[in-house]
Amino acid sequence: MSDLGSFNALQLDAIKEVANIGTGNAATALSKLLSCMINMEVPQVELVSIYDLASHYGDPMQTVGAVFVRSTGEFGCSLIFIQKEEAAQLMTGLLLRQQFGAYLPEVIPPEMSDSALSEVGNIVLSSFLNAINLLIGSQHQISVPGVAHDMLSSILDVVASIFGCMGEYALMVNTELKVEGLEVQENSDITGNIILIPDPDALELLLKKLMVM
Amino acid sequence: MAEKSHVLGMADLLVATAPVKLVTLGLGSCIGLVLFDQQAKVAGMAHIMLPDSRGSGGTEKVGKFADTAVPALFNEMLRHGANKMRIRAKIAGGAQMFALPGASADFLTVGAKNVRETTMRLARLGIALIASDTGGNRGRTIEFSTDNWLLKVKTLGKGVAEI
Repeated sequence: MSDLGSFNALQLDAIKEVANIGTGNAATALSKLLSCMINMEVPQVELVSIYDLASHYGDPMQTVGAVFVRSTGEFGCSLIFIQKEEAAQLMTGLLLRQQFGAYLPEVIPPEMSDSALSEVGNIVLSSFLNAINLLIGSQHQISVPGVAHDMLSSILDVVASIFGCMGEYALMVNTELKVEGLEVQENSDITGNIILIPDPDALELLLKKLMVM
Repeated sequence: MAEKSHVLGMADLLVATAPVKLVTLGLGSCIGLVLFDQQAKVAGMAHIMLPDSRGSGGTEKVGKFADTAVPALFNEMLRHGANKMRIRAKIAGGAQMFALPGASADFLTVGAKNVRETTMRLARLGIALIASDTGGNRGRTIEFSTDNWLLKVKTLGKGVAEI
């Protein structure tokens, strides 16, 4: 199983680089979709105890909007695009206003913003995965996206239970995208995190294809 | 009454004597299991993550799996002076946070499996399950107080229920 301790520096760098390529592609897609500049962080590869996943990523009780997809194929994995609730609302508002302008209702129905959110998540996560699969030359199928708005801790339960079956630690590849140049209220950045949760043995395959294993 | 408040993290398990308040924050697919004996004034809670410990490679946290957590919590209750005939149970949690149409992924339905396994384990020990709030697709924050022996379940956007 993917025990981070068993990877050497070169391999960790390779995982980080692959995530970086994925993030770059995802940022480009989000940038095109929103017609905004996107800033991206260098991805982090971390081993986090499943017992404090939520506090590792913020306030466990904070409300977040999350889009989840599952990818099957040679490089099997799960992906979550997670945002603070306010950021998710700002982002879907921005997108819907661009698309519908004056025809957009004053109060956006939750079904409409959820649909927009799942589409953004879908595009971001699919672009992320496409880049990776293109790089390693494997085929993959991505599921329909699932959306949830809930406490951070409840959302990350999904991750904890995936890794909990196998051990006490979760291998997380985490990266942040930030929408730049928006004229919005203060303290209301639109940021989102992509969390990649590789299936057991998926990382070994990745490293073999990159010839660092 | 000056009661002591305990917040249980993932896979924690705790039994205490009244007055006490037992809290678990943000349960998703996990289960919050409460056992209590009103007469002996003892209450316990476990934050169960997964149904089955078999094939998991072992853990030091007995509260992690339903099959180990239920008997462990029960025994801990007895050690604190609870009477096994009087112990009652309440459970909350076991939601399915994401639904992916058409995708078959075992781990997405882990909530339902947690509920099934916990209920089955309780029945096997002859513990009466008197209240539950499980399933659905929302996370829950739970609080059990020995003031009224009720389990307060807070769900985002749905408010508070006492069971």
